[in-house]
Amino acid sequence: MFEEIIDNYVRFLSSLTVDHFIRLFWFFIFFEFVRYFLIEFVVLNLWRLSKYLNRDIYARARDEFFFENPLISVIIPGKNEGKHLYKLINSLNEQTYRNVEIIVIDDGSDDDTVTIGRDLERAGLITLFIRNEIRGGKASAANFGLRFTKGKYIIHMDADCSYDNDAIEKIIIPFYVDKEVGGVGGNVQVRNYDETLVTSLQAIEYYDTISIGRTVTSYLGIYRIISGAFGAFRADVLDQVKGWDIGPGLDGDITVKIRKLGYKIKFEQDAICLTSVPNTLKKLTKQRLRWDKSLIRFRVRKHKDVLFPNQAFKFANFIAFVENITYNLILNFKWYFYLVDMVVNYPSMIVNILITNILLYTFTNFLKFVLYSLYRPRSHTQYSFFLIYIPAMVFYFGYYLRVVRTIAYLQEFFFKLSYKDPWNPEKTSVHAKRLKL
Amino acid sequence: MRRIRSSNNPEIYLKPVFILKGINISDPFVNRLCDGTIFSLEQIEFIIPTVEKLLTKVNDLKFTNSISFEAQMIEKTISFMYTCDVFDLEPVPYVYSGINYSYPILSVNFRQTEEYTVLDILDIAEREGIFESEYFDRVYLCSNCSNGHLTYREVCPKCGSSNSTTEDIVHHFPCGYVGPISDFKNEIDDQLDCPKCDKRVRHIGVDYDKPSVLHECKNCAHKFQDYNVKAKCLNCLTDNGVEVLKGKEIRRYKLTKKGELAAINGFVSTSKDIDEIIGTVKFDTFKTMLKYEIERLRQTEGSSNICAIHITNPSQVYSKIGSEVQKGLLKDLVRVIRSNIRSSDVISFQSSSTIILSMNEIPNRIAKRILEEIINMLKRLMNTAFKNMEVNFETNVMSLDYKLSPELHIQQLTKDFK
Repeated sequence: MFEEIIDNYVRFLSSLTVDHFIRLFWFFIFFEFVRYFLIEFVVLNLWRLSKYLNRDIYARARDEFFFENPLISVIIPGKNEGKHLYKLINSLNEQTYRNVEIIVIDDGSDDDTVTIGRDLERAGLITLFIRNEIRGGKASAANFGLRFTKGKYIIHMDADCSYDNDAIEKIIIPFYVDKEVGGVGGNVQVRNYDETLVTSLQAIEYYDTISIGRTVTSYLGIYRIISGAFGAFRADVLDQVKGWDIGPGLDGDITVKIRKLGYKIKFEQDAICLTSVPNTLKKLTKQRLRWDKSLIRFRVRKHKDVLFPNQAFKFANFIAFVENITYNLILNFKWYFYLVDMVVNYPSMIVNILITNILLYTFTNFLKFVLYSLYRPRSHTQYSFFLIYIPAMVFYFGYYLRVVRTIAYLQEFFFKLSYKDPWNPEKTSVHAKRLKL
Repeated sequence: MRRIRSSNNPEIYLKPVFILKGINISDPFVNRLCDGTIFSLEQIEFIIPTVEKLLTKVNDLKFTNSISFEAQMIEKTISFMYTCDVFDLEPVPYVYSGINYSYPILSVNFRQTEEYTVLDILDIAEREGIFESEYFDRVYLCSNCSNGHLTYREVCPKCGSSNSTTEDIVHHFPCGYVGPISDFKNEIDDQLDCPKCDKRVRHIGVDYDKPSVLHECKNCAHKFQDYNVKAKCLNCLTDNGVEVLKGKEIRRYKLTKKGELAAINGFVSTSKDIDEIIGTVKFDTFKTMLKYEIERLRQTEGSSNICAIHITNPSQVYSKIGSEVQKGLLKDLVRVIRSNIRSSDVISFQSSSTIILSMNEIPNRIAKRILEEIINMLKRLMNTAFKNMEVNFETNVMSLDYKLSPELHIQQLTKDFK
């Protein structure tokens, strides 16, 4: 059986012409390879060149930042996150930049978060611990924390993360490089990369989609989501957008709101944050369903005005949205179109097409992982640890995440399920749904 | 009543006392210190049996003139309890007490600001087996002066001011705005409008809720959610953090069999007791020597004197110093006295606060002058050694009269002491 498949496959390869290859693997060649390898590779080199050319500007910006020594307000909203706080605060108190106030906002926790928070406040390890007895959702907690901030820049953090000791310095400098920057996203990497296969695969994914992907989109001016785990904002800009709106997906939403005001959004690859990612497939599926729904909710619904010419029209925003919708939404469904195309037109070759696709993606994944390591900041672990997991990425990224994304899109498109997500309290979600937020 | 019961002389503090009054005495403290109330003089005949019984019981008692202050207080308490047939020493909630509870017969010996010493004394008595006790309540005392008159206040965690205002925090569901209710108030009507989305806020639980409150300090403008709680002492004005307050148990005491026997035989020793001070003789020995001196005078008609030096505020003094310092203080007193009198004269402690000494074969006016000199030196000593403590003395000198007994001499000598 196995030998027969191999024989078949060798015959298939030997008979493959260029035209035939393009016909059979058009999806990979024109979309995946071009967008996620060729364009990325070119942009990465341009980015690296520009970074080199602008190194003096960057150095001056750093000096200006340290000379001005502005107060930076860190807000950490969350529910039942007490157990994570000490590790986080420890990493914040090690920062190279010292003029920082830390505000922890407890969104109606029902565990010992209050005791831990008050203890940290009493010990002087955090500036302020505030609490809402009744849970109001992450946006309300962040907004509540925001009104206590006194800093020129606000950094939003998640409690289950920890930060490199120069992370705050690195995430703020872009504001001094370009005065039009309204928000900067930090580089999120996986802390528990070696816990399970699922976390290892996510670590590889984060290297690719965040460390590299966001560097590329940021250089092109179409970077569209400042991660909630680590994002810095100008305080006056947050004031203009009046803080966060109801989630899930509030981090992407606020980024769009800031872009709409005409501010630039940047990604800072060297500002590194470590986060704990879901360690089982079930938890991961739940998380991704929530994340993916926000594409429909925020890009296609709430902020669809970006796509239409109006007073606030910005070409970069338009491109960012089009790129996002094209590569995530349209191509996601186009992939099924490709699948049907193959099944209908080449039913006899479907196994060989599948094998070739897997080999092509695996090869590209290896190539990208090894080659792009030159463009990533140093990692907290040896890259060689991940090499063994690369073959599995085809199934994780190409099949599993694609299926989850499809389900999420359909759920949101037809049933608006994001408004029923318990991540956000129902009392606020009903209003968001009614007001189409 | 206080003066009688706080006397150090058993003949005074154990005296039966009845109150003649038209109405009942409502003060729980006085009620427990008197032996009864009568409403007219005609009722005197009814209290005679009680008085007789009390006096009979007083006659059962022996006293040991311990020079330990604690031992003296315990002896006083249990002898009073024994004569009154009271075996329970109950704490009485009492607003004028420095620790908010009073054990009247013991507390009467102390000023309000020194009443916390009562708890230490009762603790010693319990350890000696005089009392057994059970839990009654717990009080918190000032970390500085051990006073229980505290006023608890919620204060700003930053500046400690209790001057603050409180506002409800409002969470507007549709837009996620969270802020104090004043943010939502407009200048036109009494309605609430969201400052973020301009929508009217109408229905609690439906479009908004109040998840917490926010306090603002009017002194330093600090905004906070959790007050610090501080306890201000009304005696010394120290602002105590509640975590540094001294927690003390108030216990209900019961006289044990051992305690009853100690009351009859005289309470002799505690672990805090002070050994005999060098240069003095025991009070019983002193009385014997006095008896011989009186006998000698009967035959020779010479002029001899006995003198007394009394500390008028012993509870105030001893509550501030430990037993070691107490011993040192008494030694110093004896040293000063000894340096001013002849080696043939004898010194003895009648109690921890009263020193009796003999000055034989000198005229009364010379004895008075020597005593004056001693007191001046003692005052100088106290001022040097205990700068923050006032020690008050009173003295008396009397010539020995061979017609009087030694006991009567001592009684006459000390009768006017406070």
